[in-house]
Amino acid sequence: MIIVIDALNKNNHTTLLDQMFRLRARVFRDRRGWDVAVTEDGREIDDFDRLDPAYILSLDDTGTVVGCARLLQTTGPHMLSDVFHDILDGEPPLRSATVWESTRFCVDTDRLKQRSGRRGVSETTFELMIGTLEYARDAGISDIVTVIDPVMDRVLKRSGNAPYGYVGRQADMGKVPALAALLDCTDDRIHRLRDSAEIHGEVFADPATERALEDANRPGKKGIDLQQYCDEQVAAATTEKEKADALALRDLLTRNFRDGHATCDS
Amino acid sequence: MNTALQSLELIDLGSTREGEERFVRYLSGVCEALELDYASYAAANPVSGKVHAFTTYPDAWKRHYIEQGLHRVDPTLDAPRRSIAPVDWARLDPDRRFAHVFGQARDFGLPDTGLTIPVRGPYGETALFSVTRQLRRDGWQKLKRHVLGDLQTAAIHLHDTVMSTENLLQALRRPQLSGREVEILQWVAEGKSQQDIGDILAISHRTVEVHLRSAREKLCTLTTAQAIGRAVSLGLVRPG
Repeated sequence: MIIVIDALNKNNHTTLLDQMFRLRARVFRDRRGWDVAVTEDGREIDDFDRLDPAYILSLDDTGTVVGCARLLQTTGPHMLSDVFHDILDGEPPLRSATVWESTRFCVDTDRLKQRSGRRGVSETTFELMIGTLEYARDAGISDIVTVIDPVMDRVLKRSGNAPYGYVGRQADMGKVPALAALLDCTDDRIHRLRDSAEIHGEVFADPATERALEDANRPGKKGIDLQQYCDEQVAAATTEKEKADALALRDLLTRNFRDGHATCDS
Repeated sequence: MNTALQSLELIDLGSTREGEERFVRYLSGVCEALELDYASYAAANPVSGKVHAFTTYPDAWKRHYIEQGLHRVDPTLDAPRRSIAPVDWARLDPDRRFAHVFGQARDFGLPDTGLTIPVRGPYGETALFSVTRQLRRDGWQKLKRHVLGDLQTAAIHLHDTVMSTENLLQALRRPQLSGREVEILQWVAEGKSQQDIGDILAISHRTVEVHLRSAREKLCTLTTAQAIGRAVSLGLVRPG
């Protein structure tokens, strides 16, 4: 399940964002050896996180962050313009209202170890790619330029989502090389990707689930009787899909409460 | 690409005196081309601090809006500024401020179906480009999907042009074209098609298109032909 967090809803999702920053530290510093700054308490945060980017988060069925990507406009400050000079060989970066930059794409492979994905690509990876492309497409964006390492480049190619081109040249980013790849957000590509992932349903969380995932104790959040709310949702469902969604939400919340991941402030 | 917008009168960077009138005309043109009711643009210049705002809203509403100081509480000027994606007004908090501004707008017969495109410029400055259209939910969703790409392009084009009207920023904003962008413009000037250029440079034609689009925007132009003209006048490209 994909949830998008940006400046408008980030204050309601501090728990998920915190999990994401910790995941990024584990992946980019610990595993891939990128030259990134990690805070004392283990969160990888850089200047671009202070520019209100949009985060695409993939959650597992316990509501834990298992993958993420970060989006910025290329018309303003972004990584290719301000940090990845080496890739561009000193050249000015692309700048277009309809091109977004995607960075910090990663998934929690430790957590996903047991699951065998298609073509060695995990379902989370597929879901993140689909979520990113669809979110961009729905914003009127036509292309994404993404800063990746050769590992990710191979993953893209294996998953029916091969870049149609590259910008600049391969450059060193800490211990590993990085490159800037181009992906279009066309329906063609999304269909191809969905076919190879065998994911055909909606990947984004519906509004009710998104609300249920908000920080339990955020200021101003009214205490609500979640049990009653879930029962009402199940009762009010008019289609099988709605009913299945409502039941899944109730299960998700029940599991979270049992595992102590969330508390109710009502 | 941008067929609806390409028929619009292009804003000429050189003329600043009657600038405001031209900007409003441009907004009207966007409304006409994309079947929208009203459009507005607002930004603060990061260097001079001067606020630029243009709109096609009726004068009566503009007067009322200014008299009542609605810009201080208008939710469409607040949250969307920090977003990456366009913000549909349906996503804004339906709080008291929202009811205050939109209630009055309704009294003036103005639509409350709309969206705001956040614009970010190279110096971290932000601008907002808003459009409205009185439509039912499904019709609005359909229209949105159809015009969003063009609106994104129109928003940044207007923003770059407005920001370039002040001398200091104009100097800062000398177009920074990459070698690849200049190379591709040069081939276009010599009459090659995008497909030809892709073959010559051994890159995909979509990569050629992305570089061209980037070059058009850096040169503050909407069409490739105009981009070539401006690149030639700046001495970046030799006439074909």
